[in-house]
Amino acid sequence: MSAHAHEHHISTPLQLWAVGLALTFLTVVTVVVSMFVPIPAPFDIITALSIALIKAFLVAAFFMNLYWDVKFNAMLLIGAVLFFILMVCVTLLDTMYRVEVVPSF
Amino acid sequence: MANSSASHPAYLQHHFVDSDQQFDAAKMGMWVFLVNEILFFGGLFCAYIVFRAWYPELFTEAATKLNTVWGAVNTVVLIGSSLTVAMAIRSAQKNQTKGLRINLLITIVLACVFMVIKAFEYEHKFHEGIFPGAYYTYEGIEHEMAPVFFSVYYMLTGVHALHVLVGIGLMVWIYIRAGRNEFSSEYYTPVEITGLYWHLVDLIWIFLFPLLYLIE
Repeated sequence: MSAHAHEHHISTPLQLWAVGLALTFLTVVTVVVSMFVPIPAPFDIITALSIALIKAFLVAAFFMNLYWDVKFNAMLLIGAVLFFILMVCVTLLDTMYRVEVVPSF
Repeated sequence: MANSSASHPAYLQHHFVDSDQQFDAAKMGMWVFLVNEILFFGGLFCAYIVFRAWYPELFTEAATKLNTVWGAVNTVVLIGSSLTVAMAIRSAQKNQTKGLRINLLITIVLACVFMVIKAFEYEHKFHEGIFPGAYYTYEGIEHEMAPVFFSVYYMLTGVHALHVLVGIGLMVWIYIRAGRNEFSSEYYTPVEITGLYWHLVDLIWIFLFPLLYLIE
């Protein structure tokens, strides 16, 4: 491996500001949608979380530089998310199928 | 070893082959820590999901006690601080110590603004008797499980706020070290690593905000 096998990526101010403004814009969109657009029950959460996921992708890819980084770090993040989903699913398998929600509650 | 000492920078630990290897190892170590952080918050998010699945009407009713406007303002404040951290890293990569310090300073100020807003939100709730768990005395919410929602709220936002405080401490530390001219385009690992931590704090809030404040 040579001394500079890969140069570190340096984002331009324009790129960073574009990401920052996109994140702010998406925040405004979520708030406006939740306040003024009546969306029926499960889809309001789905809409809000979809926007949150887009924001999370922007932060991870362009602020945390995963887009230009070695793929191993992105794999760690994806792995963490997958294990989180696994934890939630296994927990819900218990909590959603109880006769009594919480005994003694 | 004699011939290598001439090209051996002060910041390079002797057990690494070169600066690149040291940088990549440090960064990967931080990502492993962030995995741990995600799963740590994941436990709390899991509690949120379980209780929301059990008592959906409780979440709809209790969330009206949270101020959407202040939550949104805090979201924008954290996004702004993430932007300045990214700019700080860019400054370090460009050998601009002054820009690095200014961006870190703005980040610290924004983080403090976030904490002040959060403190006012908490204060307002405490004033009404909205405390976590057994200390809950507020009577404005019909649902008998109302304390459960606020226990989840205080745990999620409280642990997040603790992370913000730690972040402020780290940023002050980086700011002081930058003042001693310890960072350059050749060595800015602590700036990069602290930045990763700060972006994760922002990431967690990106999910906390719609999940707690935007329930209709």
